[in-house]
Amino acid sequence: MMLDFERIWPSVPYILGGIPVTLSYTIVSVCLGFIWGALLAFCKVGHIPPLRWFADFYTSIFRGTPLLLQLILIYHASPQVIGYKFSFWEAGILTFTLNSGAYLSEHIRGGINSVDKGQMEAALSLGISYPLIMKDIILPQAIRTILPSLVNESIDLLKESALISVIGGADILWRANEVAAEKYAYFEPLIVAGLLYYILVMILTTGARLLEKKLKTS
Amino acid sequence: MILLEDIHKSFGTHEVLKGISGGIVQGEVLAIIGPSGSGKSTLLRSINLLETPTSGKVFVDGVCITEGRVDIEKVRTKVGMVFQQFNLFPHMTTLENVIYAPIKVKKMSRKEAETLGKNLLNKVGLGEKLHTYPPHLSGGQKQRAAIARALAMEPEAILFDEPTSALDPEMVKEVLTVIKDLAHTGITMVIVTHEMGFAREVADRVWFLDEGLLVEDSTAKSFFEAPSTSRAQGFLEKVL
Ligand SMILES: Nc1ncnc2c1ncn2[C@@H]1O[C@H](COP(=O)(O)OP(=O)(O)OP(=O)(O)O)[C@@H](O)[C@H]1O
Ligand SMILES: [Mg+2]
Repeated sequence: MMLDFERIWPSVPYILGGIPVTLSYTIVSVCLGFIWGALLAFCKVGHIPPLRWFADFYTSIFRGTPLLLQLILIYHASPQVIGYKFSFWEAGILTFTLNSGAYLSEHIRGGINSVDKGQMEAALSLGISYPLIMKDIILPQAIRTILPSLVNESIDLLKESALISVIGGADILWRANEVAAEKYAYFEPLIVAGLLYYILVMILTTGARLLEKKLKTS
Repeated sequence: MILLEDIHKSFGTHEVLKGISGGIVQGEVLAIIGPSGSGKSTLLRSINLLETPTSGKVFVDGVCITEGRVDIEKVRTKVGMVFQQFNLFPHMTTLENVIYAPIKVKKMSRKEAETLGKNLLNKVGLGEKLHTYPPHLSGGQKQRAAIARALAMEPEAILFDEPTSALDPEMVKEVLTVIKDLAHTGITMVIVTHEMGFAREVADRVWFLDEGLLVEDSTAKSFFEAPSTSRAQGFLEKVL
Protein backbone atom coordinates (compact mmCIF):
# COMPACT_ATOMS: atom_id res chain seq x y z
CA MET A 1 0.00 0.00 0.00
CA MET A 2 1.23 3.41 -0.90
CA LEU A 3 0.62 6.34 1.40
CA ASP A 4 1.43 9.77 0.19
CA PHE A 5 0.58 12.51 2.62
CA GLU A 6 2.62 15.02 0.67
CA ARG A 7 0.12 14.95 -2.13
CA ILE A 8 -2.72 16.08 0.09
CA TRP A 9 -0.60 18.44 2.20
CA PRO A 10 -1.82 21.56 0.35
CA SER A 11 -5.41 20.51 1.09
CA VAL A 12 -4.89 20.14 4.83
CA PRO A 13 -5.78 23.77 5.63
CA TYR A 14 -9.01 23.21 3.74
CA ILE A 15 -9.83 20.23 5.94
CA LEU A 16 -8.80 22.20 9.03
CA GLY A 17 -11.37 24.77 7.98
CA GLY A 18 -13.96 22.18 8.89
CA ILE A 19 -13.04 22.44 12.58
CA PRO A 20 -15.03 25.61 13.26
CA VAL A 21 -17.91 24.15 11.32
CA THR A 22 -17.90 20.92 13.28
CA LEU A 23 -17.41 22.76 16.56
CA SER A 24 -20.18 25.23 15.86
CA TYR A 25 -22.65 22.41 15.20
CA THR A 26 -21.54 20.73 18.39
CA ILE A 27 -21.47 23.72 20.69
CA VAL A 28 -24.67 25.37 19.50
CA SER A 29 -26.55 22.07 19.56
CA VAL A 30 -25.33 21.09 23.02
CA CYS A 31 -26.23 24.50 24.44
CA LEU A 32 -29.67 24.56 22.87
CA GLY A 33 -30.06 20.85 23.62
CA PHE A 34 -29.30 21.55 27.26
CA ILE A 35 -32.03 24.18 27.49
CA TRP A 36 -34.48 21.95 25.64
CA GLY A 37 -33.44 18.94 27.73
CA ALA A 38 -33.91 20.94 30.92
CA LEU A 39 -37.44 21.91 29.88
CA LEU A 40 -38.21 18.28 29.05
CA ALA A 41 -36.77 17.19 32.39
CA PHE A 42 -38.95 19.74 34.23
CA CYS A 43 -41.95 18.21 32.47
CA LYS A 44 -40.84 14.74 33.49
CA VAL A 45 -40.45 15.51 37.18
CA GLY A 46 -43.43 17.87 37.28
CA HIS A 47 -46.98 17.15 38.30
CA ILE A 48 -48.79 17.73 35.03
CA PRO A 49 -49.44 14.29 33.52
CA PRO A 50 -49.91 15.34 29.86
CA LEU A 51 -46.56 17.16 29.90
CA ARG A 52 -44.93 14.15 31.50
CA TRP A 53 -46.38 11.80 28.89
CA PHE A 54 -45.30 14.09 26.11
CA ALA A 55 -41.74 14.36 27.43
CA ASP A 56 -41.44 10.60 27.92
CA PHE A 57 -42.89 9.84 24.51
CA TYR A 58 -40.68 12.43 22.85
CA THR A 59 -37.58 11.00 24.49
CA SER A 60 -38.38 7.45 23.48
CA ILE A 61 -38.91 8.50 19.85
CA PHE A 62 -35.64 10.37 19.58
CA ARG A 63 -33.69 7.69 21.39
CA GLY A 64 -35.41 4.90 19.52
CA THR A 65 -34.66 5.99 15.95
CA PRO A 66 -31.38 6.60 14.11
CA LEU A 67 -30.01 10.11 14.26
CA LEU A 68 -29.24 9.91 10.54
CA LEU A 69 -32.88 9.19 9.82
CA GLN A 70 -33.94 12.16 11.94
CA LEU A 71 -31.52 14.40 10.12
CA ILE A 72 -32.58 13.34 6.64
CA LEU A 73 -36.22 13.52 7.60
CA ILE A 74 -35.90 17.06 8.91
CA TYR A 75 -33.78 18.22 5.99
CA HIS A 76 -35.61 16.57 3.10
CA ALA A 77 -39.12 16.19 4.43
CA SER A 78 -39.61 19.57 6.02
CA PRO A 79 -40.45 21.45 2.80
CA GLN A 80 -43.23 18.97 2.16
CA VAL A 81 -44.68 19.32 5.64
CA ILE A 82 -44.10 22.91 6.68
CA GLY A 83 -43.38 24.47 3.31
CA TYR A 84 -39.97 25.73 4.34
CA LYS A 85 -36.62 24.37 3.30
CA PHE A 86 -34.02 24.39 6.05
CA SER A 87 -30.41 25.12 5.18
CA PHE A 88 -27.82 22.43 6.13
CA TRP A 89 -26.98 24.53 9.10
CA GLU A 90 -30.55 24.93 10.31
CA ALA A 91 -31.45 21.29 9.71
CA GLY A 92 -28.28 20.15 11.46
CA ILE A 93 -28.68 22.38 14.47
CA LEU A 94 -32.36 21.55 14.76
CA THR A 95 -31.85 17.80 14.54
CA PHE A 96 -28.89 17.68 16.89
CA THR A 97 -30.68 19.94 19.37
CA LEU A 98 -33.85 17.88 19.35
CA ASN A 99 -31.83 14.69 19.63
CA SER A 100 -29.40 15.73 22.34
CA GLY A 101 -32.29 17.35 24.22
CA ALA A 102 -33.84 13.89 24.49
CA TYR A 103 -30.66 12.30 25.84
CA LEU A 104 -29.79 15.21 28.12
CA SER A 105 -33.29 15.36 29.58
CA GLU A 106 -32.71 11.91 31.06
CA HIS A 107 -29.44 12.99 32.66
CA ILE A 108 -30.97 16.24 33.90
CA ARG A 109 -33.90 14.32 35.33
CA GLY A 110 -31.44 12.10 37.19
CA GLY A 111 -29.59 15.15 38.48
CA ILE A 112 -32.80 16.77 39.67
CA ASN A 113 -33.83 13.59 41.46
CA SER A 114 -30.45 13.46 43.17
CA VAL A 115 -31.17 16.75 44.96
CA ASP A 116 -32.59 16.21 48.44
CA LYS A 117 -36.37 16.58 48.32
CA GLY A 118 -36.27 18.83 51.38
CA GLN A 119 -34.92 21.52 49.06
CA MET A 120 -38.07 21.46 46.98
CA GLU A 121 -40.23 21.47 50.11
CA ALA A 122 -38.40 24.39 51.68
CA ALA A 123 -38.67 26.37 48.46
CA LEU A 124 -42.37 25.54 48.08
CA SER A 125 -43.02 26.56 51.67
CA LEU A 126 -41.65 30.01 50.87
CA GLY A 127 -44.19 30.45 48.10
CA ILE A 128 -41.61 30.26 45.31
CA SER A 129 -43.05 29.24 41.94
CA TYR A 130 -42.12 25.93 40.33
CA PRO A 131 -40.12 27.36 37.41
CA LEU A 132 -38.08 29.57 39.74
CA ILE A 133 -37.45 26.67 42.12
CA MET A 134 -36.13 24.59 39.26
CA LYS A 135 -33.96 27.34 37.85
CA ASP A 136 -32.52 28.85 41.03
CA ILE A 137 -32.70 26.12 43.67
CA ILE A 138 -32.73 22.66 42.13
CA LEU A 139 -30.76 23.00 38.90
CA PRO A 140 -27.72 24.73 40.44
CA GLN A 141 -27.43 21.80 42.84
CA ALA A 142 -28.13 19.19 40.20
CA ILE A 143 -25.49 20.58 37.85
CA ARG A 144 -22.71 18.72 39.64
CA THR A 145 -24.27 15.41 38.70
CA ILE A 146 -25.29 16.62 35.26
CA LEU A 147 -22.02 18.18 34.15
CA PRO A 148 -20.12 14.95 33.40
CA SER A 149 -22.95 13.69 31.23
CA LEU A 150 -23.12 17.05 29.51
CA VAL A 151 -19.48 16.62 28.51
CA ASN A 152 -20.13 13.06 27.34
CA GLU A 153 -23.02 14.29 25.26
CA SER A 154 -20.75 16.93 23.73
CA ILE A 155 -18.24 14.25 22.81
CA ASP A 156 -20.92 12.07 21.26
CA LEU A 157 -22.33 14.97 19.37
CA LEU A 158 -18.92 16.09 18.17
CA LYS A 159 -18.52 12.72 16.52
CA GLU A 160 -22.09 12.38 15.35
CA SER A 161 -22.05 15.84 13.85
CA ALA A 162 -20.13 14.17 11.02
CA LEU A 163 -23.53 13.03 9.80
CA ILE A 164 -24.10 16.57 8.62
CA SER A 165 -21.76 15.81 5.73
CA VAL A 166 -24.41 13.46 4.38
CA ILE A 167 -26.71 16.37 3.62
CA GLY A 168 -23.85 18.60 2.56
CA GLY A 169 -22.70 20.61 5.58
CA ALA A 170 -19.05 21.55 5.02
CA ASP A 171 -17.67 20.02 8.22
CA ILE A 172 -14.41 18.14 8.73
CA LEU A 173 -15.61 14.88 7.22
CA TRP A 174 -17.29 16.50 4.23
CA ARG A 175 -14.14 18.44 3.39
CA ALA A 176 -11.98 15.35 3.75
CA ASN A 177 -14.31 13.59 1.33
CA GLU A 178 -14.06 16.45 -1.13
CA VAL A 179 -10.30 16.30 -1.04
CA ALA A 180 -10.42 12.54 -1.44
CA ALA A 181 -12.59 12.77 -4.51
CA GLU A 182 -10.51 15.45 -6.05
CA LYS A 183 -7.15 13.73 -5.50
CA TYR A 184 -8.37 10.16 -5.97
CA ALA A 185 -6.87 9.34 -2.59
CA TYR A 186 -9.14 8.26 0.20
CA PHE A 187 -6.89 7.04 2.91
CA GLU A 188 -4.85 10.12 3.62
CA PRO A 189 -7.56 12.78 3.90
CA LEU A 190 -9.76 10.50 5.95
CA ILE A 191 -6.87 9.79 8.28
CA VAL A 192 -6.39 13.52 8.69
CA ALA A 193 -10.09 13.92 9.46
CA GLY A 194 -10.00 11.04 11.93
CA LEU A 195 -7.00 12.55 13.65
CA LEU A 196 -8.76 15.89 13.96
CA TYR A 197 -11.83 14.33 15.54
CA TYR A 198 -9.63 12.34 17.87
CA ILE A 199 -7.68 15.40 19.01
CA LEU A 200 -10.85 17.40 19.61
CA VAL A 201 -12.36 14.58 21.63
CA MET A 202 -9.17 14.23 23.67
CA ILE A 203 -9.20 17.95 24.46
CA LEU A 204 -12.80 17.71 25.63
CA THR A 205 -12.08 14.60 27.69
CA THR A 206 -9.12 16.19 29.41
CA GLY A 207 -11.10 19.33 30.10
CA ALA A 208 -13.88 17.23 31.54
CA ARG A 209 -11.50 15.39 33.82
CA LEU A 210 -10.04 18.63 35.15
CA LEU A 211 -13.51 19.99 35.68
CA GLU A 212 -14.63 16.92 37.54
CA LYS A 213 -11.62 17.10 39.78
CA LYS A 214 -12.38 20.72 40.53
CA LEU A 215 -16.00 19.94 41.29
CA LYS A 216 -14.97 17.20 43.66
CA THR A 217 -12.71 19.47 45.68
CA SER A 218 -15.09 22.45 45.86
CA MET B 1 -56.63 31.90 61.59
CA ILE B 2 -56.21 28.28 60.59
CA LEU B 3 -59.18 25.96 60.54
CA LEU B 4 -59.12 22.24 59.84
CA GLU B 5 -62.29 20.38 58.97
CA ASP B 6 -62.34 16.61 59.09
CA ILE B 7 -58.91 16.08 57.52
CA HIS B 8 -58.24 12.62 56.20
CA LYS B 9 -55.01 11.54 54.59
CA SER B 10 -54.04 8.16 53.22
CA PHE B 11 -50.83 6.99 51.63
CA GLY B 12 -52.05 4.16 49.45
CA THR B 13 -54.15 2.01 51.74
CA HIS B 14 -52.49 3.34 54.87
CA GLU B 15 -54.76 5.89 56.53
CA VAL B 16 -52.50 8.25 58.44
CA LEU B 17 -55.00 10.96 59.40
CA LYS B 18 -58.46 9.74 60.31
CA GLY B 19 -60.55 12.88 60.45
CA ILE B 20 -59.00 15.77 62.30
CA SER B 21 -60.81 19.02 63.03
CA GLY B 22 -59.66 22.01 64.98
CA GLY B 23 -58.92 25.70 64.88
CA ILE B 24 -55.89 27.80 65.62
CA VAL B 25 -56.37 31.41 66.64
CA GLN B 26 -54.20 34.26 65.37
CA GLY B 27 -51.21 34.76 67.66
CA GLU B 28 -51.66 31.47 69.43
CA VAL B 29 -48.86 29.00 70.11
CA LEU B 30 -50.00 25.44 69.52
CA ALA B 31 -47.88 22.40 70.29
CA ILE B 32 -48.68 19.14 68.51
CA ILE B 33 -47.39 16.13 70.34
CA GLY B 34 -47.87 12.41 70.12
CA PRO B 35 -46.09 9.15 69.52
CA SER B 36 -43.90 8.58 66.48
CA GLY B 37 -45.97 7.78 63.42
CA SER B 38 -49.15 9.29 64.81
CA GLY B 39 -49.41 11.68 61.87
CA LYS B 40 -48.06 14.91 63.38
CA SER B 41 -45.87 15.86 60.44
CA THR B 42 -48.52 14.88 57.94
CA LEU B 43 -51.05 17.09 59.71
CA LEU B 44 -48.65 20.01 59.89
CA ARG B 45 -47.76 19.66 56.22
CA SER B 46 -51.44 19.65 55.32
CA ILE B 47 -51.72 23.21 56.56
CA ASN B 48 -49.51 24.58 53.76
CA LEU B 49 -50.45 21.78 51.38
CA LEU B 50 -47.05 20.16 51.19
CA GLU B 51 -49.35 17.17 51.67
CA THR B 52 -52.74 17.28 50.00
CA PRO B 53 -55.42 15.86 52.29
CA THR B 54 -57.38 12.97 50.79
CA SER B 55 -60.54 14.67 52.07
CA GLY B 56 -61.49 17.47 54.40
CA LYS B 57 -60.98 21.21 54.26
CA VAL B 58 -58.22 23.57 55.32
CA PHE B 59 -59.02 27.25 55.82
CA VAL B 60 -56.36 29.92 56.13
CA ASP B 61 -57.64 33.39 57.01
CA GLY B 62 -61.14 32.25 56.23
CA VAL B 63 -60.27 31.07 52.73
CA CYS B 64 -60.66 27.40 51.88
CA ILE B 65 -57.38 26.33 50.30
CA THR B 66 -58.30 22.74 49.55
CA GLU B 67 -61.06 23.47 47.04
CA GLY B 68 -61.37 25.31 43.79
CA ARG B 69 -58.65 27.42 42.29
CA VAL B 70 -56.42 28.76 45.02
CA ASP B 71 -53.19 30.66 44.63
CA ILE B 72 -51.32 28.28 46.86
CA GLU B 73 -48.07 30.21 46.47
CA LYS B 74 -49.76 33.26 47.94
CA VAL B 75 -51.06 31.20 50.86
CA ARG B 76 -47.58 29.82 51.49
CA THR B 77 -46.14 33.31 51.80
CA LYS B 78 -48.50 33.72 54.76
CA VAL B 79 -47.61 30.41 56.38
CA GLY B 80 -43.90 29.82 56.82
CA MET B 81 -42.29 26.51 57.68
CA VAL B 82 -39.21 25.32 59.54
CA PHE B 83 -38.04 21.77 58.96
CA GLN B 84 -36.31 19.18 61.06
CA GLN B 85 -33.48 18.95 58.52
CA PHE B 86 -33.21 22.77 58.10
CA ASN B 87 -33.26 22.51 54.29
CA LEU B 88 -31.18 25.63 53.75
CA PHE B 89 -30.11 26.14 50.14
CA PRO B 90 -26.48 25.03 50.24
CA HIS B 91 -25.38 27.02 47.19
CA MET B 92 -26.45 30.33 48.69
CA THR B 93 -24.95 32.26 51.58
CA THR B 94 -26.94 32.65 54.77
CA LEU B 95 -28.04 36.12 53.72
CA GLU B 96 -28.97 34.99 50.22
CA ASN B 97 -31.02 32.17 51.72
CA VAL B 98 -32.96 34.72 53.72
CA ILE B 99 -33.51 37.36 51.03
CA TYR B 100 -34.15 35.16 47.99
CA ALA B 101 -37.89 34.72 48.52
CA PRO B 102 -38.61 38.31 49.61
CA ILE B 103 -36.94 39.51 46.41
CA LYS B 104 -38.31 36.92 44.01
CA VAL B 105 -41.73 36.30 45.49
CA LYS B 106 -42.59 39.54 47.24
CA LYS B 107 -40.72 41.67 44.68
CA MET B 108 -38.94 43.53 47.44
CA SER B 109 -35.98 45.62 46.30
CA ARG B 110 -32.61 43.99 46.95
CA LYS B 111 -31.57 46.81 49.22
CA GLU B 112 -34.68 46.63 51.32
CA ALA B 113 -34.43 42.83 51.49
CA GLU B 114 -30.81 43.00 52.59
CA THR B 115 -31.66 45.37 55.41
CA LEU B 116 -34.48 43.08 56.49
CA GLY B 117 -32.28 39.98 56.15
CA LYS B 118 -29.43 41.46 58.15
CA ASN B 119 -31.82 42.53 60.88
CA LEU B 120 -33.35 39.09 61.13
CA LEU B 121 -30.00 37.33 61.11
CA ASN B 122 -28.76 39.67 63.81
CA LYS B 123 -31.83 38.86 65.82
CA VAL B 124 -31.16 35.13 65.67
CA GLY B 125 -27.51 35.71 66.52
CA LEU B 126 -26.03 35.16 63.07
CA GLY B 127 -24.91 38.70 62.33
CA GLU B 128 -21.38 37.39 61.87
CA LYS B 129 -22.40 34.67 59.43
CA LEU B 130 -24.12 36.66 56.70
CA HIS B 131 -21.78 35.49 53.96
CA THR B 132 -21.15 31.97 55.19
CA TYR B 133 -22.43 29.01 53.21
CA PRO B 134 -24.66 26.58 55.09
CA PRO B 135 -22.22 23.64 54.98
CA HIS B 136 -19.94 25.73 57.19
CA LEU B 137 -22.59 26.37 59.83
CA SER B 138 -23.30 24.22 62.87
CA GLY B 139 -26.68 22.54 63.17
CA GLY B 140 -27.95 25.13 65.60
CA GLN B 141 -26.80 27.96 63.37
CA LYS B 142 -28.44 26.33 60.36
CA GLN B 143 -31.76 26.07 62.13
CA ARG B 144 -31.59 29.66 63.32
CA ALA B 145 -30.85 30.75 59.76
CA ALA B 146 -33.80 28.67 58.56
CA ILE B 147 -36.04 30.44 61.06
CA ALA B 148 -34.79 33.80 59.82
CA ARG B 149 -35.49 32.68 56.25
CA ALA B 150 -39.09 31.82 57.13
CA LEU B 151 -39.54 35.10 59.02
CA ALA B 152 -38.23 37.14 56.11
CA MET B 153 -41.52 36.54 54.30
CA GLU B 154 -43.26 38.18 57.25
CA PRO B 155 -45.74 35.32 57.54
CA GLU B 156 -48.81 35.38 59.72
CA ALA B 157 -48.13 31.87 60.89
CA ILE B 158 -45.11 29.63 61.08
CA LEU B 159 -45.05 25.84 61.23
CA PHE B 160 -42.23 24.03 63.00
CA ASP B 161 -41.71 20.32 62.39
CA GLU B 162 -39.49 19.03 65.19
CA PRO B 163 -37.09 21.95 64.84
CA THR B 164 -34.60 20.54 67.33
CA SER B 165 -34.76 16.80 66.66
CA ALA B 166 -31.79 16.76 64.29
CA LEU B 167 -29.57 18.80 66.60
CA ASP B 168 -26.82 17.78 68.96
CA PRO B 169 -28.06 18.25 72.55
CA GLU B 170 -25.83 21.24 73.23
CA MET B 171 -27.42 23.16 70.35
CA VAL B 172 -31.04 22.55 71.25
CA LYS B 173 -31.20 25.41 73.70
CA GLU B 174 -30.04 28.16 71.33
CA VAL B 175 -32.75 27.21 68.84
CA LEU B 176 -35.47 26.89 71.45
CA THR B 177 -34.52 30.32 72.78
CA VAL B 178 -35.04 31.85 69.35
CA ILE B 179 -38.42 30.15 69.04
CA LYS B 180 -39.43 31.25 72.53
CA ASP B 181 -38.54 34.86 71.76
CA LEU B 182 -40.84 34.66 68.77
CA ALA B 183 -43.79 33.29 70.71
CA HIS B 184 -46.57 35.71 71.65
CA THR B 185 -45.30 38.47 69.39
CA GLY B 186 -48.46 38.24 67.28
CA ILE B 187 -47.36 35.47 64.95
CA THR B 188 -49.28 32.21 65.03
CA MET B 189 -47.07 29.23 65.79
CA VAL B 190 -47.71 25.53 65.33
CA ILE B 191 -44.91 23.40 66.71
CA VAL B 192 -44.54 19.65 66.40
CA THR B 193 -42.12 18.72 69.13
CA HIS B 194 -40.85 16.01 71.42
CA GLU B 195 -39.50 18.62 73.85
CA MET B 196 -42.16 18.39 76.54
CA GLY B 197 -40.58 20.96 78.85
CA PHE B 198 -40.47 23.44 76.01
CA ALA B 199 -44.07 22.72 74.95
CA ARG B 200 -45.24 23.19 78.51
CA GLU B 201 -43.40 26.48 78.81
CA VAL B 202 -44.32 28.24 75.55
CA ALA B 203 -47.47 26.64 74.22
CA ASP B 204 -50.91 28.03 74.91
CA ARG B 205 -52.56 24.90 73.72
CA VAL B 206 -51.67 21.30 73.04
CA TRP B 207 -53.02 18.86 70.51
CA PHE B 208 -52.30 15.28 71.38
CA LEU B 209 -52.37 13.02 68.33
CA ASP B 210 -52.49 9.26 68.41
CA GLU B 211 -52.95 6.92 65.46
CA GLY B 212 -54.23 9.64 63.21
CA LEU B 213 -56.80 11.03 65.62
CA LEU B 214 -56.84 14.24 67.60
CA VAL B 215 -57.28 12.59 70.96
CA GLU B 216 -56.94 15.65 73.13
CA ASP B 217 -57.19 19.39 72.52
CA SER B 218 -56.65 21.39 75.69
CA THR B 219 -54.69 24.22 77.23
CA ALA B 220 -51.06 23.41 77.85
CA LYS B 221 -51.56 23.84 81.56
CA SER B 222 -54.40 21.39 81.90
CA PHE B 223 -52.82 18.94 79.45
CA PHE B 224 -49.59 18.62 81.37
CA GLU B 225 -51.15 18.79 84.81
CA ALA B 226 -54.11 16.54 84.24
CA PRO B 227 -54.52 14.97 80.81
CA SER B 228 -58.11 13.94 80.36
CA THR B 229 -57.58 10.80 78.27
CA SER B 230 -55.81 7.68 79.37
CA ARG B 231 -53.84 7.58 76.10
CA ALA B 232 -52.36 11.00 76.80
CA GLN B 233 -51.66 9.96 80.38
CA GLY B 234 -49.85 6.89 79.18
CA PHE B 235 -47.85 8.90 76.67
CA LEU B 236 -46.80 11.52 79.21
CA GLU B 237 -45.78 8.89 81.73
CA LYS B 238 -43.50 7.36 79.12
CA VAL B 239 -41.82 10.58 77.98
CA LEU B 240 -41.59 12.62 81.17
N1 LIG C 1 -44.91 10.23 51.78
C1 LIG C 1 -45.33 9.16 52.49
N2 LIG C 1 -45.61 7.99 51.88
C2 LIG C 1 -46.05 6.93 52.57
N3 LIG C 1 -46.22 6.92 53.90
C3 LIG C 1 -45.95 8.04 54.59
C4 LIG C 1 -45.49 9.23 53.91
N4 LIG C 1 -45.31 10.19 54.84
C5 LIG C 1 -45.65 9.64 56.04
N5 LIG C 1 -46.02 8.35 55.88
C6 LIG C 1 -46.47 7.46 56.95
O1 LIG C 1 -47.47 8.11 57.67
C7 LIG C 1 -47.38 7.82 59.07
C8 LIG C 1 -47.36 9.10 59.85
O2 LIG C 1 -46.21 9.82 59.48
P1 LIG C 1 -45.84 11.21 60.13
O3 LIG C 1 -44.54 11.59 59.57
O4 LIG C 1 -46.97 12.16 59.95
O5 LIG C 1 -45.71 10.84 61.67
P2 LIG C 1 -45.13 11.70 62.84
O6 LIG C 1 -46.18 11.72 63.88
O7 LIG C 1 -44.62 12.98 62.34
O8 LIG C 1 -43.94 10.81 63.36
P3 LIG C 1 -42.48 11.21 63.89
O9 LIG C 1 -42.66 11.62 65.30
O10 LIG C 1 -41.70 9.96 63.75
O11 LIG C 1 -42.00 12.32 63.01
C9 LIG C 1 -46.13 6.97 59.23
O12 LIG C 1 -46.54 5.62 59.36
C10 LIG C 1 -45.38 7.17 57.94
O13 LIG C 1 -44.69 6.00 57.59
MG1 LIG D 1 -42.69 13.86 62.04
